[in-house]
Amino acid sequence: MSTATATANVFGTEVPQPKQHGKPGGIMRRLNFGTGLIGGIGLATVAGLVTNALTPSGASTATFAPAAPEYVYLAVLLGWVIGFMAGIGAFIGPIRWVLGRDLTHADAEYMAGKDLGWKRYFKFTTDHKVVGIQYLVMTMVILGFGGLLAMLIRTELGVTWAEVFSPSFYNSLIGTHGIAMIIGMIIVVMGPIANFIVPIMIGARDMAFPRLNALSFWLLFVAAICLISSLFMGGVQDGWSVYYPLGAQAPPGMLGYQMTIIVFALSTGVASVNLMVTILTMRAKGMTWSRTPLLVFGVFASALMGLYAFPFYQYSQILALSDRIFNTSFFDPLEGGSVWLYENLFWLLGHPEVYVIIIPSAAVLMEIIPVFYRKPLFSFNFAVAGIVGVVALSGLVWAHHMYMTGWAPAVNYPFMLSTEMISIPVGFLVLVVIGTMWRGVVWTRLPVMAVYAVIFNKMIGGVTGIYLSDVPVDQYMHGSMFVVAHFHYMLMGAGLFGAMAGVAFYFPKMTGRMLDERTGSIGLWTAFIGFQITFGSMFVAGLQGQPRRVLQFDNLFNISNWISTIGAYTIGIGMLIFLGAIISSWMYGDKASSNPWGSKSLEWQTPTPVPLENFEVLPVVTERPYDYGVPDPYQKELDAVDGDLEKVGK
Amino acid sequence: MSAETQQPLYPTTGEPISTIARRAKAGLWTLIVLDVSGTLALIISYTYLWSLNVNDGWAPPGADLTYDQTNALPAKSDATFAVEWPFWAILGIVILATLAMWFGYKEIKRGNHAGLIIGTGLALVITIAGLVAQWIQITTFPFGSGNGAYASAVLLLCASNIFHFGMLTFLLLGIFNRARKGLINKAVHFQAQLMSYWMVWICIAFLLGAICTTFFVESPNTDPAIFGSFTQKS
Amino acid sequence: MSTTDVRPTGQPDEPEAPTNRPPSMHRVKMWIRRPYARWIMVLTVLIGFLLMPLAWLLLAAMNQTGAPASEVMKDIEQTVFVFTMVSIPITAFVFAVLVYSLLGWKHVSGDTPPEDESPAIRSNTIGVVLWTVVSSVLAFFLVVWGLAELAQITANSYGTIPADEQPEDKQALIVNVTGQQWVWTFEYPQYDGLTTETLYLAKDRPVYFNVTSKDVIHNFWAVELGVKIDANPGAITQTGVTPNKTGTFNVRCAELCGMHHAYMETAIQVLEPKAFNSWAREMGGGKTS
Repeated sequence: MSTATATANVFGTEVPQPKQHGKPGGIMRRLNFGTGLIGGIGLATVAGLVTNALTPSGASTATFAPAAPEYVYLAVLLGWVIGFMAGIGAFIGPIRWVLGRDLTHADAEYMAGKDLGWKRYFKFTTDHKVVGIQYLVMTMVILGFGGLLAMLIRTELGVTWAEVFSPSFYNSLIGTHGIAMIIGMIIVVMGPIANFIVPIMIGARDMAFPRLNALSFWLLFVAAICLISSLFMGGVQDGWSVYYPLGAQAPPGMLGYQMTIIVFALSTGVASVNLMVTILTMRAKGMTWSRTPLLVFGVFASALMGLYAFPFYQYSQILALSDRIFNTSFFDPLEGGSVWLYENLFWLLGHPEVYVIIIPSAAVLMEIIPVFYRKPLFSFNFAVAGIVGVVALSGLVWAHHMYMTGWAPAVNYPFMLSTEMISIPVGFLVLVVIGTMWRGVVWTRLPVMAVYAVIFNKMIGGVTGIYLSDVPVDQYMHGSMFVVAHFHYMLMGAGLFGAMAGVAFYFPKMTGRMLDERTGSIGLWTAFIGFQITFGSMFVAGLQGQPRRVLQFDNLFNISNWISTIGAYTIGIGMLIFLGAIISSWMYGDKASSNPWGSKSLEWQTPTPVPLENFEVLPVVTERPYDYGVPDPYQKELDAVDGDLEKVGK
Repeated sequence: MSAETQQPLYPTTGEPISTIARRAKAGLWTLIVLDVSGTLALIISYTYLWSLNVNDGWAPPGADLTYDQTNALPAKSDATFAVEWPFWAILGIVILATLAMWFGYKEIKRGNHAGLIIGTGLALVITIAGLVAQWIQITTFPFGSGNGAYASAVLLLCASNIFHFGMLTFLLLGIFNRARKGLINKAVHFQAQLMSYWMVWICIAFLLGAICTTFFVESPNTDPAIFGSFTQKS
Repeated sequence: MSTTDVRPTGQPDEPEAPTNRPPSMHRVKMWIRRPYARWIMVLTVLIGFLLMPLAWLLLAAMNQTGAPASEVMKDIEQTVFVFTMVSIPITAFVFAVLVYSLLGWKHVSGDTPPEDESPAIRSNTIGVVLWTVVSSVLAFFLVVWGLAELAQITANSYGTIPADEQPEDKQALIVNVTGQQWVWTFEYPQYDGLTTETLYLAKDRPVYFNVTSKDVIHNFWAVELGVKIDANPGAITQTGVTPNKTGTFNVRCAELCGMHHAYMETAIQVLEPKAFNSWAREMGGGKTS
């Protein structure tokens, strides 16, 4: 190897080290969130000024908007992205690699945040536990922002006798709400829980590529700022799906949306790579696939679907950006472009994406239920089969969002078939949950009570999805509020409530405190009741014929909208209470023991707070997961009858 | 955990290099999936637009076609389809660079450090030449970005090629430098291996683009609906 | 019931091979005797009956403005009804388990993890197989129903005949629908290019819609007639229907198309054939085909 003679004690072994350049961490010692902001804002300003000087003010692009703001805004966005990432030290790793200055163990420890205290949350920190907490806070901010917008939307829809907001502002409300919630839901389990818990759950010290972990978080932050910036440039006025050519009419804020997605897709792509490789190659000794907890399967499946699907969304936005700035015509029918191309590229991501959201949430339920029923998970193999089935079919159903576009009527048949078939593996997951509940003695704590809410919502969401999967029925329901209610039942009713259950479950391990269950429950059930009112009434509005994305409508729909709005405010109150419970428990809650739930899973066998290296000695797994319960008393009855035909009662 | 004295250990985590190599290889496969999806998005865009020929706007306005092109917009320019051989020439350059990199990898597997340096150095130089060639091709296309769907699709494909070339240049720079410093050697050469695998995928990506621009040129749909009217062209 | 299966063995008094399991029916009977089994079955049926009115309620919501006004809409409503009924068994069962797990089986509270008391059932082949078979059969039924219905509706909607191939059927009415921000325009090529902003149709007369857009994607939704198709720029999409009821109905735009998407609505007037003809004449549309 190299001529360096220094060695370091790495988890008990003396390992030769490369040359230590400077103090541990090198230049990373001086780089943090502050320098990132300086770099980002600085480069954005410089880029904007330079572009402003270079761009003739009368220049035109292919769109309706004047050119100078477009180019300047794009330069600002690019400057922000590159500048912030440079300022926080994301490029240091690759540069050191090219120069051959490899990291030493001391460098790695520094970058993992050893002995840095609270500052490590504001740096390019590689420790997966730090990244998990960063994601948790970021997710709550994003979801809270989306929720605030939802309250504004419902206010507009509830005030049926006047226009509270202008039509264009309302359109940007719904567009921004949509994309903020989608981003928030994608990361709500995959961010905090997958990052913090999964490496410990599989008995590893960290993820496969710790620096990629830090990268994925800070890219998310950068993307979120891009989205916020779009609000100041006219907003995202075309729904979160931004169909073209409507998108081409949008103000410059659309560029902000495009950059958000391009960067966010990079963030999730990198995170998917990291999670998949970690799960594939870093499970503890003895942890065969049949000894791997379900959460790991769910996270892996979600990462896999995100991996193959996100580039389509990313490229759809790159092409859209190109249409806008470089006058290409991918989506402009006047010059050979096709609106259907955009729709296909978009939904190729758009559909797997809902499974990216729902599968980890379902997998979290499967971690919670065995613990609180003190029962093994019902039919582990069936659960895996369900997840595998969903992943396998996830890429084959996208055009059910395009039944009504007229792009290829003959193709509606096979897509209807595949879409209705995917309900079967999803059903497997429901069976596993209720099978685990079956005959179980339930310990009525918040995480498991939330599961009831999730399953209830999931059934309603699933059945209404069956209606929509049928092409003739979709001929009535597509583009109506029925669709909106359906996907809110799935993504929010099942997805978000499941994530809330997961956060409540892992709260003691992640924060070291117990979540105040009384307040949390009040919040959760208030939100649940509000949820039924809001979206149950929304189904009715859709059936009555109310289209989506409208701010004014026939008097026929007034009552359903009033009811929905009241329900929405109830959700808002409930969610605020739940958020309040999280924040106050985080700051002042009872200190948690290392295993308050009595779980047998690996992550609960560590002390709280979890030490930097997770385990002093890497564990070896010898048992199946979910080893709870006592022998079945009825089995004795069956066994007693076996072998003695006289007792059969002839 | 006892250190296997035969195998070097990774400095930051103390794991044997073979473990790290396996992990990195898995990472490479996932990155390839990511890039495959992205490239497929472009190929799908190209072929779908080619098949639709919306509003007769696929071919550049001045192209020589076998059917009557009725475009709602008057043909304003003499923009035509791109010449086909440069795509294959650039593919050839990429293949040469890949072969050079493979050569380097094979040599270091046998322990020949000089061979590694030659191979990676050659790969770097050829890649830079390819980058320049691709740039020249883009700037000398007989069409601009506003000349229809074909032009748009080809430009984005070539932009993707430039992006791949740029990434390759950076990576090969690193590989070459590390080879020079002895960080890639007979005992630890998984990075050379992964680089070789990656470059094979890059060849495939360039090949897909070349196939599109050679065999999917004139659209088969000579009868598209005309924008703003209710009749087909005929 | 006497023991059966006297298998020829070497020793005549050997117990019955291969096992001594009681016949399957007995195991089912033993299972049914368990209190939770009966309760859950009762709950399933009860919840199922409670859910059934939803099928009618869904239809009532859809029919508030005069639907169904065509065979297509009637087919759609029938499908909604059937799908609701078909979904009820599994939904009711799941809800029954949820309810019984809180009310029937034991629950404990407290701060410390309770002692393990639940039976360690890792799997139940019968349950898994039953669920798979039932859900697959139901899904299969839904698929077959859906495919057949789609084929029928497509046939009734003339949905795949391009604009320049639509037959010279004196019966059929052709309407060219143009969406643009934020107005619907209807052109009647058979009536001298008569153009209106309200859609007039004749009862019991099949109509082909050729739909396009002048700017962005809109969606032509004839609500009570149950037809919907995107209006795409640069393309012509088709759908069709035969209205079977006179009255005033709604066209709404079902794809976000900009600022005034909400206002992009217009009315459908379905008239008796004679009334339609006189309307056409009044509007200056002499019949040309």
